[in-house]
Amino acid sequence: MGDVFSTSVSGLLAFQRALTVTSNNVANVSTPGYSVEQTNFSEAWAQPTASGFIGNGVTVSSITRAYSEALANQVRNSQSSYAGANTFATQAALVDNMLSASGTGISDSLQSFVNALQTVANSPSTTAERQTLLSQAQALVNQLKSYDSQLSQYQSDVETQIGDNVDQINSIASSIATLNSQIAAAQTGTGQTPNSLLDQRDTLIDQLSQYVGVSTATQSDGEMNVYIGSGQALVVGGTAQKLATTPDPYNATRENVGLVNSGGTVDITSQITGGTLGGLIAVRSQVLDQAQNAIGQISVGLTTLVNQQQESGMDLTGALGQDMFSVGGVTAAAASTNSGSASLTVTRANLSGLTTDDYKLQMTGGSWQLIDSTTGQSVAMTGNGTSASPFQADGLSIVVSGTASNGDSFQIRPTAAATSGLSLLLTSPSQIAAASPVQAAASSSNSGTATISSPTVTDPTDPQLQSTTSIQFTSATTYSINGAGSYSYTSGSAISANGWSVNITGTPAAGDTFTVKSNAGGTGDNSNMLAMISALSSSSLNGGTTSLTGAATNLVSQVGVLTQQAQATASTQQTVNQDAVTARNNLSGVNLDEEAANLVRYQQAYQACAQMIQAANTMFNSLITAVRGG
Amino acid sequence: MRISTLTFTTNAQNSMQALETALANTQQQLSTGKRIQSAADDPAGMARVNQYNVELSASKQYSTNGDAATTNLQLEEQALSDASNVLQSARDLVVQANNSSLTAAQRQDIATQLQQQLQDLVSIANRTDSTGKYLFAGYADGTKPFAMSGASTTYNGSSSVRQLQISSNQSVSQGDAGDAVFMNIPAGNGTFTTAAAATNTGGASIDAGSIVNAGAWTADTYTISFTSPTQYTVTNSSGTPVASGSYADGDTISFNGAQVSLSGNPAAGDQFTISPAGKASAFSTLANLVTTLNSTTLNTGQLTSAINSGLAQIDQAIGQFSTISASVGARLNSITTTQSAGTTQQTDLTASISKITDVDYAAAVTQLSTEQIALQATQASYATISKLSLFNYLS
Repeated sequence: MGDVFSTSVSGLLAFQRALTVTSNNVANVSTPGYSVEQTNFSEAWAQPTASGFIGNGVTVSSITRAYSEALANQVRNSQSSYAGANTFATQAALVDNMLSASGTGISDSLQSFVNALQTVANSPSTTAERQTLLSQAQALVNQLKSYDSQLSQYQSDVETQIGDNVDQINSIASSIATLNSQIAAAQTGTGQTPNSLLDQRDTLIDQLSQYVGVSTATQSDGEMNVYIGSGQALVVGGTAQKLATTPDPYNATRENVGLVNSGGTVDITSQITGGTLGGLIAVRSQVLDQAQNAIGQISVGLTTLVNQQQESGMDLTGALGQDMFSVGGVTAAAASTNSGSASLTVTRANLSGLTTDDYKLQMTGGSWQLIDSTTGQSVAMTGNGTSASPFQADGLSIVVSGTASNGDSFQIRPTAAATSGLSLLLTSPSQIAAASPVQAAASSSNSGTATISSPTVTDPTDPQLQSTTSIQFTSATTYSINGAGSYSYTSGSAISANGWSVNITGTPAAGDTFTVKSNAGGTGDNSNMLAMISALSSSSLNGGTTSLTGAATNLVSQVGVLTQQAQATASTQQTVNQDAVTARNNLSGVNLDEEAANLVRYQQAYQACAQMIQAANTMFNSLITAVRGG
Repeated sequence: MRISTLTFTTNAQNSMQALETALANTQQQLSTGKRIQSAADDPAGMARVNQYNVELSASKQYSTNGDAATTNLQLEEQALSDASNVLQSARDLVVQANNSSLTAAQRQDIATQLQQQLQDLVSIANRTDSTGKYLFAGYADGTKPFAMSGASTTYNGSSSVRQLQISSNQSVSQGDAGDAVFMNIPAGNGTFTTAAAATNTGGASIDAGSIVNAGAWTADTYTISFTSPTQYTVTNSSGTPVASGSYADGDTISFNGAQVSLSGNPAAGDQFTISPAGKASAFSTLANLVTTLNSTTLNTGQLTSAINSGLAQIDQAIGQFSTISASVGARLNSITTTQSAGTTQQTDLTASISKITDVDYAAAVTQLSTEQIALQATQASYATISKLSLFNYLS
């Protein structure tokens, strides 16, 4: 009888616990991160008797949660990839939308500027047309600068977000470390798994994976180590390492991510992948820096080509033309860690050699090495770095002064700061140099058939540029310049003197004379304007392969491609993540129908046990009655 | 397979979110009419659109350039036509004066009218466009190109003229320099000029002559000397005779591929010179004729010779104006052709841009309704499934 009582009571207790677990499951049906718990029953120790082993009821051996490490990792990895791609796509889309604005793109503005040049060419002596050109030039400058400052604004937003992300990661990492200690203590004390603490920790690691890509390793005492980047430990047991923002060695206003340890802060920016932090770091260099460099390249191209032609021309007042634009110089920053005294002077040497990449000049083993930071490739330099023979590479001219220590380095950004320094220098419409300073004419008494082309200015600084120079043919095949010398003549070949160059074609007769002289009063001349239009539409960038409008179009499509790729990756990773979450939920989530069935099952078992006690009681009463009533 | 209750909700939410995003996207395409909202929607397409927009803008500018060139060229065409008319009137006056029965006074009256024609011609050559810039001054469009001082006219303009770009690879001159139009006109008959010597005493005159065999012609100064009223010798500049013969009134004298006709009767010792043609201006031609007609010292032969030579030079000038006018006409034609090609190009570019960026309404509306149906189905199925629970049956 006593056996029946105790066996039934063990059942009552066990099913009571099971019902508690079920109610807990039902209660947590919507709790994020909750893993469904299961009551594990086992038979109580059976008592040996002469008639065999008699069972002693049931015990609840453990309450375990449904959990799979592999599924959890899948969720985290896909979450990091999705968050990284999504952050990248969101930030890149801002730039993409800015550049894609229809009718107001850089290529449209460049063409409007060229159209304004054409309008001046149609009527070079009209002030209204010249004023329109100046306004259009100012509009172009404003637009390029507004894009540049918008990009700088996005940069600084990204810096802020990187700081916020680092704070969040630190906060989560310290919570994980605390939970690790609690879990280890609970597990050691009871030998049972503290399910709710484990769920909490998993949820935190899930959260962490949104900010940065993570990997984990579980220790025997239940503690979980968390690693980021390429294996940098963020949480080890009960201790969390701190992340910190640390200034870029070349640019103090730029935040890098560092891991703080006893020896100081180690820069791990380049190792960080995935998560919003990884996305921010990637978008900063791949989109924001690149776009700023590309716009800078256009600013440099515009300034160089227009100024060159202005200087070769003559303005409405008859003076030689002045520069129309000024542009920001090359950024050359020494690393904060440099120990030598070396400093750099970097200038742009030729337009077509310039790229939109950034460079690193490093002293390695006694010699300077130039590395393209974007491609990681070493770039060959000519020259020896002195002012007499500067290093020449990729359109740059680099002069090194002072002495560098081994390992000292400089970051060179050829066009990054160009646009911020862009401005319109001309203030008066008459300063536009539409005319050529020199003109050529054939003498009316020439009897040959030779004709002379318009002169091209090759050296606007030549003091004799506008002096009247006559080319006299002493025979059909020889000529002298200003009566001096005797040069042999080939039809169509260039004749140069006093900073200009002309072509004479055809057959001259002896005694024929051609004159190159000042174009003073040539207010109707538009030849320099036409030369400027032709220069602006020529393929002057990227080794002579790309025009200015081509570069603007390339920028739009490059940012478009990057945005599109990131959006596609985000979309794919979102699906992968949703599938992983579904798979994990199907294992760990609560199913109410299952719980309802369990409820019925445990309730019935509980009632049956209670009934057994009733039966035992009846049996006992029967026995008592029989003994007493006898 | 075990499915968690949460999965139903999450799946439904994910599906509905995805469909709502798609619907919003399709709706935006329909409301803006654009398939491409930014470069990320179609980077290659956007790059082409940018390129086309640049080409479109440039093409419109070329068309504007063509209009600017047309305005000036039409002004020039008008000026050339007016100048031709002036010269034609002048020619009529000169023909009228070429009549030995006229008195000196009558010739002077004609000279006065001719002087008026000369002034008209100068005024045409100094015409300006609508902005007050001189049409025939070349680059120096702020400088009055022709200045008349007494009988001589000087050109103060530039010999170069402005080019306007009317397509990416085509330029036209927006005019012609005044010296090429009015100043550098071949003198005489274009190859040589003829003149009666100032010392002639006979009444013979020489016409402007012509070249009958260009291959035999050698440019040089030739002199026809009459040794008697009926005998002549032609010598070149070094005094070597190249032809000789007997002469009767109205005879033609030929030598070295050239041919001149004389009329009237020369006196012994009279000379006529034939010189290689230089350049003469339309103004000096008229001015010289005015001087000739005003002269009281020239005899009939000299007068007629000078008039003959002047008439030939007027014809040269009219010919030159007509050649330049034809070139202006050709430029205007070329502009019209280019502009019309430009219009076609603009239409094509606009169509291409539209093809890339514009939404296909039929496809988009179909897509919208498909997405709508899918969203409604998801909502309905979720509403139904979410009601299912075993707990509903427990009591």
